[in-house]
Amino acid sequence: MNYRKFITISLLSLLLLTACNEEGKLSLSERSVIYCAEGSPETFNPQLVTSSTTIDATSNQLYDRLITYQGNKNTLSPALAKSWHVTRDGKKVTFYLRKNVVFHHTDYFTPSRFLNADDVIFSFNRALDVEHPYHLVSGGHYPFFQNIGLSKVIDKIEKINDYTIRFHLSHANNSFLANLATDFAIILSAEYAEQLTKQKAKSDIDTHPIGTGPFKLKEYRVGSLIRFYRHEQYWREPAQIEQLVFDITPSNTGRLTKLLAKECDVAAYPIAHEKITQHNDLRLEAVTALNVSYLGFNVNKAPFDNKLVRQAVNYAINKKTLLEAVYQGKAEMANSILPKTSWAFDQSIPKQEFNPVLAKRLLTFAGYSKGFSMDLWVMPIKAPYNPNAITMAKLIQSDLKRINIKVNIISNESNTFLQRLKHGEHQSFLLGWSAEHPDPNNFFTPMLSCSATQTGTNNTFWCNQKYDAIIKKALQTTNINQRKKYYAQAMAILTQEVPLIPIAHSKRYQARGNNVIGNILAPFGGINFYPVTKRNLTHKKTAIEQSLPRKRNNTLNTGVN
Amino acid sequence: MARDKIYLEEIFPSPFMQLWLIFRKTPVAMLGFSCFLFLIVLAIFGPLLAPHSPVEGQLDMLLLPPAWHIDGNVSYLLGTDELGRDMLSRLMYGTSLTFGLSFIVVIISLVIGVIIGSLSALTSGLKSSFLNHFLDVILSIPSLLLAIIIVAILGPSIGNTVWAVVLVLIPQFIHITRYAVKEESRKDYVLASRLDGASPFRILYYSIFPNITDRIMGQATLAQSAAILDIATLGFLGLGAQVPLPEWGATLANGLDLFYIAPWTVYLPGLAILFAVVATNLVGEGIRHALKVRKER
Amino acid sequence: MLVFTLRRLSLFIFTMLLLTLLSFSLNFLFPGETIINLTGAINATPSQLIELNDAYQTHRNIFWQYITYLSHIINGDLGLSMASQSDISTEIVTLLPATIELSLVALFIAMFIGIPLGFLAAIKHNKFTDNLILSLSMLGYSIPVFWLGLLAILTFSISLGWFPSAGQISLLFEIKSVTGIQFIDILLSDSPYKWQAFIDATAHIILPACVIAVAPATIFIRLARTSMIEVLETSYIRAASAKGLTFQQIIFRHAIRNSLIKIIRHVGLQFANLVTIAMVTEVIFSWPGIGRWLIESIYQRDYTAIESGLLVLSCFIFIVHILTDFIYAALNPLARGNKYGAR
Repeated sequence: MNYRKFITISLLSLLLLTACNEEGKLSLSERSVIYCAEGSPETFNPQLVTSSTTIDATSNQLYDRLITYQGNKNTLSPALAKSWHVTRDGKKVTFYLRKNVVFHHTDYFTPSRFLNADDVIFSFNRALDVEHPYHLVSGGHYPFFQNIGLSKVIDKIEKINDYTIRFHLSHANNSFLANLATDFAIILSAEYAEQLTKQKAKSDIDTHPIGTGPFKLKEYRVGSLIRFYRHEQYWREPAQIEQLVFDITPSNTGRLTKLLAKECDVAAYPIAHEKITQHNDLRLEAVTALNVSYLGFNVNKAPFDNKLVRQAVNYAINKKTLLEAVYQGKAEMANSILPKTSWAFDQSIPKQEFNPVLAKRLLTFAGYSKGFSMDLWVMPIKAPYNPNAITMAKLIQSDLKRINIKVNIISNESNTFLQRLKHGEHQSFLLGWSAEHPDPNNFFTPMLSCSATQTGTNNTFWCNQKYDAIIKKALQTTNINQRKKYYAQAMAILTQEVPLIPIAHSKRYQARGNNVIGNILAPFGGINFYPVTKRNLTHKKTAIEQSLPRKRNNTLNTGVN
Repeated sequence: MARDKIYLEEIFPSPFMQLWLIFRKTPVAMLGFSCFLFLIVLAIFGPLLAPHSPVEGQLDMLLLPPAWHIDGNVSYLLGTDELGRDMLSRLMYGTSLTFGLSFIVVIISLVIGVIIGSLSALTSGLKSSFLNHFLDVILSIPSLLLAIIIVAILGPSIGNTVWAVVLVLIPQFIHITRYAVKEESRKDYVLASRLDGASPFRILYYSIFPNITDRIMGQATLAQSAAILDIATLGFLGLGAQVPLPEWGATLANGLDLFYIAPWTVYLPGLAILFAVVATNLVGEGIRHALKVRKER
Repeated sequence: MLVFTLRRLSLFIFTMLLLTLLSFSLNFLFPGETIINLTGAINATPSQLIELNDAYQTHRNIFWQYITYLSHIINGDLGLSMASQSDISTEIVTLLPATIELSLVALFIAMFIGIPLGFLAAIKHNKFTDNLILSLSMLGYSIPVFWLGLLAILTFSISLGWFPSAGQISLLFEIKSVTGIQFIDILLSDSPYKWQAFIDATAHIILPACVIAVAPATIFIRLARTSMIEVLETSYIRAASAKGLTFQQIIFRHAIRNSLIKIIRHVGLQFANLVTIAMVTEVIFSWPGIGRWLIESIYQRDYTAIESGLLVLSCFIFIVHILTDFIYAALNPLARGNKYGAR
């Protein structure tokens, strides 16, 4: 009897407990979003990298830029700068900063002042000025800035007053503003840098980040998770969700499993699209990302120093099967490095035909009638431009076998892969490029210009003076038709020279539970969790904070110039 | 010319024969044994019988479901994987890798283990005690963990997996041989032949071995099921057979990314491993059962 | 008991020496420079290298090198991880408890399922129940654990949605690591969501622990069955039944206790087996334990981490082994006198 009583009571209390907890747990997960990310960021400063994994985890979450892209069209809109002004000769650009912008308040830093001109100057000089005390911290590589040669474009950055700064350019450059709106041109805190200099912990600036963005970093466990909390004093309306967790799950199946088991709300690069669309409470979304995946040759190494061999390989690869097997038909075949959606794309570029017979003849011409063996380097992880590089490599292997080229697939872990590519140890490689802003120059210069062979983004080591000259001219013209003509010429050179074989332009996919509301995918590839909320959260909030959305519109309106 | 038996001869089957006679009468054990034989045949002739290449795929036949499925194709009985490789052929080739190799592994480690074990049974004193301790330490570390250590030293590949598993299994054979030999040599018939002046090796070879083969065989089946699981697990973890080898564990790991689109690429290799291990264990179970029955007689 | 303790202690010391010797020699067997394998300092400057060489006495003979290596280990210095350049001993301190937690839960599940089933099979010896339990146990130890894990995730996480598929706890709960054992940390934490965290952690551990428990449970079934059959055949049981005790009384008062003692003896050995299974399961369920970490270190060729991980893991297994021996000896006075090696 006693026993029974005891059991009943304990069972009842347990039930009660679970009941309360169920409610509390709901509220915690209602106020948070878990994002299943595909990898760990290398650093928390997007200035230092080009990898999309790092950009995703940092740029839009932790930081803001002076200006930003608005909507699907590439119009620029104000962010930290509430307005800007460009002189008629295009050589002076003045930014008027927003006041009352607060930096993150964290365990390791307490800001004592608002954002001002010093922070902007510090952020740009760190990347551009070789003498800057912070330039060499974390390696001194600023790939994006170095690729576009920003230090040559900017003569001087002048502080007019605390909230006004002026960029003096050496010559008019029509992609300058677009570059400042990219995910790389973020604003760091100069005050935090001073504090770190005093503490002799300069490198913390990239590992323990302070920015002005909608979220602040709480915890990072390598290979496991990144925990962000909402930045309560964000200069816009604070984000709706309180906690944002990046669950780092490199395995493709793992991410999908977690999504299906509701362990994450949003999953990056999902596989098995049919499976997701079958589920009523899941949603699959995609944006046309500006990217291209390609097979690159090291033109410094035989036999790919021979143009004919490169052309032969180009003819021997059946891109159609690659698209079907690797992208499941969900990508566009690439005819050149520039996606067709770009305004600069030249429709007259001929479609690459698949012709093994011609390929064989070209090889014979080049003196390789018996074929040869080559190394093909691939990265075993899923990238936005290529869901499965290994499968692609295997298919290329069997294509090239037909023209007697034996392909050895060499797969390397991604960091070593990129390091060794930079040193030119490879013969050929599978890689891709994701553009950070819609300006076509973002494809032509970093992928294939001579200067990019130094900075590690042009791993073909192909350097063509004629091509470089055309690209430079294109950058300096303001006439859009003239620019288009220049880019058409550049594409024609590429079709002739084949330093790389463009394969596909893929979309960037993402899957999420239906209870997550708001755009996450930015129009040109990146992700942004600021506008995100959860369904139950909005229901509760709308009742209390009806007036807030209007206020938010106001702030935006004052910003537009 | 056949002739009638003049004397009423009493036939004493050898211990091994006795075992077989009992074994034959257990239907489950016989079922396992025939599955085991089937696997051996498949391991030897599988590569000849396989309808397609296990490594090269048909690019127009990607991710075909098994034949009984509505979209299936009879010429690809168990479907294809993401590169259009026939699953049936991959599994058949895999038999020689996973099952065949495990069989070879067991034989090698059995021979080495039995030799060392019986030699060590003849030693005594400090050497023997050291060996005892040493064996105990090794045996207390799980075989898979040891195999992982060895692969970590040698680097991942199928050849190294084989060596790792061989090395891991040897101590078990040493232990059982040593124990069995010591036990047998206490018996009277061994004493008798020792009194006859037989050399230790002669005793070992003619008197003891025939009486411990069955026990070693029992251990061998245990070792084989462990070997299959170890090879497959290492393959699954990417430490064993490398792409594109159709080792079962590696095939399963390869199918992981397709788990939700093409579940058969995960189910089938798993079933194959299960089948092989169950068959082996049934044989082992049969042997142990027969041993017990014989002892009770 | 004193002799027994001494004997075990000598065995323990012998084993530790052997294990450290093995892990010491790994430094020479692994590719690359010995001193770098030893310390993991891949980015060391020449002057740092000289310091390290000094610290590990590499100029002296191999015996002294080993002694200094031992002293480093005893001081808790296992070097740096080559991949992440973080201190290995701190990493292990955070990872090992997670593995211990998972293995212990799995061990208890295995015992709670395996032993009663084994007893049941013994009582119904040679009947249908016995055969059914035996066949199930045969299936249980033939199943490759990684496959079983996948099937479990597919059924219980995806189709039924009962349990989560990965990790130790939902990432939303921010639990500070104090002891490393999740459940204790939750109870120690001052999070307002303590109880939800506790329930969430329980839900997370069930699936992997059950998957790990399957194989050991089958072993326990067999052990329990054999030992119960043996006990039931003893004379004191016959005496008890002659005295007129009911079957239930015999089983609960006499048989179970006596057969349990024999099983405890094997728990230590089984634990070693269980930890290996846990390593593979950790990979599948992304459990943040030492097994997954070790296997990832192998992928990354992080030799310092491999070597230290192995050392710690095998020491841990061996310590558990010896502990169960002690428990067995404490429970069963007969065992204390047994000579070492006799089984």
